[in-house]
Amino acid sequence: MTLGIGRAGPLGPTRFATTVSHAPGRSRPVSGSGIADGEREALAVLVSVDGVGPATLGRLLRNVGGAGDVLEVARRPDGDRLLIESSREPLGDDRLSPPSLTHRAAGTLVDAARSADAIVAGIHAAGLEILTIHDADYPPRLRWIDLPPHVLFVRGDRGALSHARAVAVVGTRRPTEYGRRIAARLATALSRTDATVVSGLAVGIDGAAHAAVIVHRDLAPEDGPTVAVLGGGHGRLFPRAHGRLADRIVDTGGALVSEFAPTTAPSRGTFPRRNRIISGLSEATIVVEARVRSGALITAAWALQQGRACYLVPGRIDDPSSSGCLEFLREAGGEARIVASLELLLEDLGLATGPDGDASSDGLAPLVELGETAEMVGARLLRGLTTVDELVASTGLAVASVLAALTMLESRGLVVGAYGRFRPAGRLAGSEPARPNVR
Amino acid sequence: MLATLLSATLLGLEGRVIRVEVDVAPGLPGVTIVGLPDAALQEARERVRGALRNAGFHHPPRRIAVNLAPADLRKTGASLDLAIAIGILLGSEQIRPGTLRPAFVGELSLGGEVRHVPGILPMVAALARRGVRRVVVPAEGVDEARLERGVDVLAVGTIADAVEAIRSTRSRRVFVAAQRVELGIATAGSAAGRAVEPDPPPRVPDLADVRGQLEARRALEIALAGGHGLILIGPPGSGKTLLARTIPGLLPPLDDGQALAATVVASASGGPPIRELVRRAPFRAPHHTISYAAMVGGGPRMSPGEVTLADHGVLFLDELAEFGRDVLEALREPLEEGRVAIARVGRATTFPARFQLVAAMNPCPCGLAGVDGARCTCGTNIPERYLARISGPLRDRIDLWVLMPRVPPAALVGAAQPERSAVVADRIAAARMRQLARPPGRLNGRVSGRFLRAACRLSAAAERRAVELAEIERLSGRGTERLLRVARTIADLAHAVEVETDHLEEAARFRSAVSGLEQRLAS
Repeated sequence: MTLGIGRAGPLGPTRFATTVSHAPGRSRPVSGSGIADGEREALAVLVSVDGVGPATLGRLLRNVGGAGDVLEVARRPDGDRLLIESSREPLGDDRLSPPSLTHRAAGTLVDAARSADAIVAGIHAAGLEILTIHDADYPPRLRWIDLPPHVLFVRGDRGALSHARAVAVVGTRRPTEYGRRIAARLATALSRTDATVVSGLAVGIDGAAHAAVIVHRDLAPEDGPTVAVLGGGHGRLFPRAHGRLADRIVDTGGALVSEFAPTTAPSRGTFPRRNRIISGLSEATIVVEARVRSGALITAAWALQQGRACYLVPGRIDDPSSSGCLEFLREAGGEARIVASLELLLEDLGLATGPDGDASSDGLAPLVELGETAEMVGARLLRGLTTVDELVASTGLAVASVLAALTMLESRGLVVGAYGRFRPAGRLAGSEPARPNVR
Repeated sequence: MLATLLSATLLGLEGRVIRVEVDVAPGLPGVTIVGLPDAALQEARERVRGALRNAGFHHPPRRIAVNLAPADLRKTGASLDLAIAIGILLGSEQIRPGTLRPAFVGELSLGGEVRHVPGILPMVAALARRGVRRVVVPAEGVDEARLERGVDVLAVGTIADAVEAIRSTRSRRVFVAAQRVELGIATAGSAAGRAVEPDPPPRVPDLADVRGQLEARRALEIALAGGHGLILIGPPGSGKTLLARTIPGLLPPLDDGQALAATVVASASGGPPIRELVRRAPFRAPHHTISYAAMVGGGPRMSPGEVTLADHGVLFLDELAEFGRDVLEALREPLEEGRVAIARVGRATTFPARFQLVAAMNPCPCGLAGVDGARCTCGTNIPERYLARISGPLRDRIDLWVLMPRVPPAALVGAAQPERSAVVADRIAAARMRQLARPPGRLNGRVSGRFLRAACRLSAAAERRAVELAEIERLSGRGTERLLRVARTIADLAHAVEVETDHLEEAARFRSAVSGLEQRLAS
């Protein structure tokens, strides 16, 4: 069996990992000593080759030597044959495994070796940093997973990847209004505890989580940033509609990271593979909403397989948007946990609440300074009203006043709107509507 | 013998004076028409022959040559029939010319009746510019023709009436003078003595029929008050179309100049005969399968398109994203310039198109994106791509964007009685007056640059807020201008001299959904 990552998740067709298998010796972290620039760039060239994944690359490096040496071999007249031979591994009894490098991939690798300079120039031109597993600031949590990516292409602050605390928030691309709200509140609360919020830049839950951190960071730059792990190369940003969101992530001190070369197009196989990095960068993964067979559950399974904590937001049993979460909880009951409330989650994660006290206690505090109408409107939003019609009916204010108040709240990052509905964001989302203490 | 008369044809929205020369000479019997006539005009031979015979005249069995000058202008339509028939009568000396020498406009039936043709008003106007003092027109077109000052009009029902008119040497009285068009008061009454019923008002829903959707109602009020482009985006059943259909009841009547322009357009577009100046602002709602030529105008007769028919009014495009891409792109020029240039081989013309754009569309092809409790069946990215069908240049010309949620049942049943159209229309009219009283005397939607900054005096606090909002929203120069324009209209609705912070905040609510679309969709 080829040692690969596959598209079905860490344990192949078995959907949910209920046992964490840590075969000794399989994941040996590579030491983080220094690395020469030439070697770093050579590694970047190697991962740019379509058909060379972490497993194959690992074999080549073990059998040939450094990345520079692999390129050296590739440039020889019979380079492709030598490379294919070098992708075999000893099976223990003098026999070798079949090669994992295909003829086609070998040909591509030879071509890449000959145009290595152009590839490197392209990476630098795109403004990307190359972070290799040999670099000291390679994210430490990622170093410990099975088959860590040899190279990460980073746009933005690479320090965000190695933040002391990091939690992934993922979920379906078609969330309910409730799911978006919860994702935004979770992400804001996590950012307030100075944790990095990791997600996948997809539409839906991922986008809501990223966006919530961004609006919060605008006001509180000292809080945790957000990191997006891309399912394709930087040059092929997906979804394209999130281009501006991606820019804002970088602007607010976060980072975009990909293990794929900038020109790699996102495809069916790249997303599950990317998911292991989302969970790997994080100490815990939270799934907000997921349908059955959702990609978010692959991330959850990776988290368990990597020995990380995994939390799922439970939903109603007749709600298809939560069916995947509930099924996962049933299958992985012993290890996956549920999110019972914001405070309890933060407690479970051992995250301190923000400097200005318990996230739940300040309620309408962010609103008080904004004047009476904004406070009235904000309070209604916290109670779950969403449309202008409802807000006008409930507050008795003029339409014009409600609209102005919404802009004011929105420009301060306390409200986000979508399709004519509004909901709390930022600090407002992190606070609970007046509600009895759960403990 | 040679006879020469004046007549006119319609080219686009303009009348063109045509000199009709008829030569009746010995030779092989037949009628030849030269001077670039189109098919309808070639068939005039048969209509004229039948009309003359059946009206009791004689169609001479001689060689008849009809020349239409200027020779290089392509002539269309049947408006020259009457002149040709009279020319034949004169040329064959069946009748003698009187002293009045009127021009003739009208189509003939085989029975000898004179029929109405489109564009009477512009044709009479063209003849008047040429110095013609008297015009013979079809009976139905008399009210329309009398809108032109300085021309005496004779309405004729049959070719015999027309003959009577030119044969008489003294009966100046048969011509009626131009209507004393007291612009501002719709004049009524017709030469034929028929009682004129005003056109029945089209069935327009009242704003009181629209439940909920307060944000969209407010946006509509602002858009109509300031002449701003407006787009309503919402799922099916959210009331977009109903809301837009209330527009005719909200628009103030046209002023004199606009009414005259609108009447010319109505005349040239060949609708029912016109009895009085068109005071009702046009509201055009073409279907999304409309062709390019039908939208901008053109065709063999250079007919005006929907953008011109909506001149000084509202062009409502329902299901905006379903319109053809070329049709939508064609809107850019008229939205920017207020007119549309049409060039065909050998001919070019410009039509006015000072319309206001109101559009509606679903948020995605299935229409359910963003509806809570419903499942959008569109794939990833499809909603974004759907909105992206509205190209950047077109988006830039839409000042107000509204995303409409579905109205919850509670609002449909329980909410307070919504305002009636008449109340809102009064506010709109008042706000428009304020704008027109201030330089450059235009609605805010059409003001830009220097004038806008002069008109938009901001209070000190508002100025700071404007800069803040522009930064937060990452507004481009154009985006900031849009924000100010809309804020100015909101201030006008509030009778405020200066633009205040509240006006800006409200205006920012309606900024282009597309500028923040990614995040709106994401989060």
